[in-house]
Amino acid sequence: MTSAELGQIAVNAVLLSGILALVALGFSLVWGIMNIVNLSHGAFIVLGAYLAFGLHEALRIDPFVSVPVSMAALFALGYLVQKSLINQIIRAPLLATFLLTFGLEILIVNLINFFFKADTRSVTLSYSGKGLELGAVRIPYVRLGALLVSLGLVLALGAFLNRSRLGRAIRATGMDIDAARLTGVKVGTIYAATFGIGAALAGAAGSLLSMVVPFDPNLGGTYTERAFVICVLGGLGNVVNVLIGAAIYAFVEVFVGARLPALSQAVTFGILVIVLVLRPQGIAGRSAS
Amino acid sequence: MNASPAGALRNRGLGRPIRALLLAALLVGLLILPRLVTPYKLLTFTSVLCLALMAQGWNFIGGYTGFAAFGNVAFFGIGAYTTGLLMLSRWRIPFFPALLAGALLAAAVAALIGLPILRLKGHYFAIATLGVAEALREIAGAWDSLTEGATGIDLPVRSDSAFFYYVALGLVALGLLTTQRLEKSKLGYGWVAIREDQDAARMLGIPTTLFKVAAYALSAVFAAFAGGIVAYQNIHVAPNDFFKIEYTLQMIIACVIGGSGTVWGPLIGASIYQLLSTFFWSHFLELHPTVLGGIIVLFVVFLPRGLMDLLRRWRSGQRIGRDMLLANIRASRIE
Repeated sequence: MTSAELGQIAVNAVLLSGILALVALGFSLVWGIMNIVNLSHGAFIVLGAYLAFGLHEALRIDPFVSVPVSMAALFALGYLVQKSLINQIIRAPLLATFLLTFGLEILIVNLINFFFKADTRSVTLSYSGKGLELGAVRIPYVRLGALLVSLGLVLALGAFLNRSRLGRAIRATGMDIDAARLTGVKVGTIYAATFGIGAALAGAAGSLLSMVVPFDPNLGGTYTERAFVICVLGGLGNVVNVLIGAAIYAFVEVFVGARLPALSQAVTFGILVIVLVLRPQGIAGRSAS
Repeated sequence: MNASPAGALRNRGLGRPIRALLLAALLVGLLILPRLVTPYKLLTFTSVLCLALMAQGWNFIGGYTGFAAFGNVAFFGIGAYTTGLLMLSRWRIPFFPALLAGALLAAAVAALIGLPILRLKGHYFAIATLGVAEALREIAGAWDSLTEGATGIDLPVRSDSAFFYYVALGLVALGLLTTQRLEKSKLGYGWVAIREDQDAARMLGIPTTLFKVAAYALSAVFAAFAGGIVAYQNIHVAPNDFFKIEYTLQMIIACVIGGSGTVWGPLIGASIYQLLSTFFWSHFLELHPTVLGGIIVLFVVFLPRGLMDLLRRWRSGQRIGRDMLLANIRASRIE
């Protein structure tokens, strides 16, 4: 491998880690606060991608501009799903939420398949092929923009959780649900809002992904898996952990993908299992509940 | 459960002779089934039995021991590949020894990976098992010299659908007997103790690691049986068909629909699941997964303990109705 190739791989990894952090953040929030591993996270990402695609086809809206629309729509959907379904079974054994969210994943993906067919889509913009040239290394504008928007949203969520009243209520509920209830927090509503925020972040990630990769209704599943691996690598708890997990994961994926494309998942999951067994709290995390 | 005298009087449990008669009738019906239906129809019944086998296996680790294993398809695939490769090997090993070898290898692999990953709890265990299954799929696809990679292997043809049916039926019966025996054994009680509180079980002197590994290995054995049968019946074994996550989900769903941690739950759940699936397949071809997803959601929300729980309540004289479904929700909801 020449140094130029290495440089390009490193740049690709950094560009990838932004979107992955955004994907994992919503997943991590839902998991950390409510102890739900949301297997329908990928379906929310796909919904975001199709929303961006639809708005671009119909009204020529740039997906960068329609990110807030996706987020609002997905927030509403996530809020409803949590309020009407998941809240009903949240105290059942873990398998219940696992199966419920998986049922939702099947349902949503199949509905998208029904309405949009399984054709591979992508959003092509006037500046899609263009990019910065830094010596031998290329940085496409679209990916750079996606990285910046992702990082902005990640930091915004961190600030929201630390500073705002709702954010503090969410964190308090995650720490001790009974104590939170005693101080007057409406736990059911907080849960719904948390799930909604998780879905909104997935929607934003989907909108960004619609410009970066070609997609079809089945895009989401692999991103749910990646989100999980990132959460395990980084550990749950805060935004910084997610960023560290996403960066580590992105480098592993890009390097393994360049050297051993056929075994990329085997290597990734091998690393995952080793990390899980040796350091269950994650590389960066202190203790995951 | 129902302590009132009226409840005891309304006990609707069937008498022992009637139950034995029903069981005998069912058995005879199942035994002569291949003569009653077309070979093509029989395939559906064989696939019900194979799903039941997988669900019976999952029941040991997921139902009794309470570990959400999300990668049992790995053992299905190991069983399929081992059976196929041994039959195709230089020694031309016959089907039954090959099937047994597949089950033993699956159990050995389960014990080996179980030792580290059964230390994990909850979601972490679930995803670690999922990861193992995904990794095995890729390895099966990449190990060209052994598995012929993504193309897969072709087994000798045997177009005798009654043969596969009887093999599957025999193994399901074995699964029922094994589950029934173990449920009331030291091992079975140990599993339930681990499910309810692992630390307490350890303090009571239960060798938790050994018991968990036993449950996991046993679950692998039955998944591998199913894999071997399906492989021989389908002739062709390829990584993406035999390591797909849908199988894992189907066995879990079958178990949950029927009632996990019960003897008959997996078989009943597998029958109902396959029945519904076939029905929706023929009526709503394109929206079939949507309907299936909807059913999963409804079952998890309203009948989280499955149909066996319904049967138990009916036999102890409780009223079955809206109130019971709502009570199921009330037990685990949050306001």
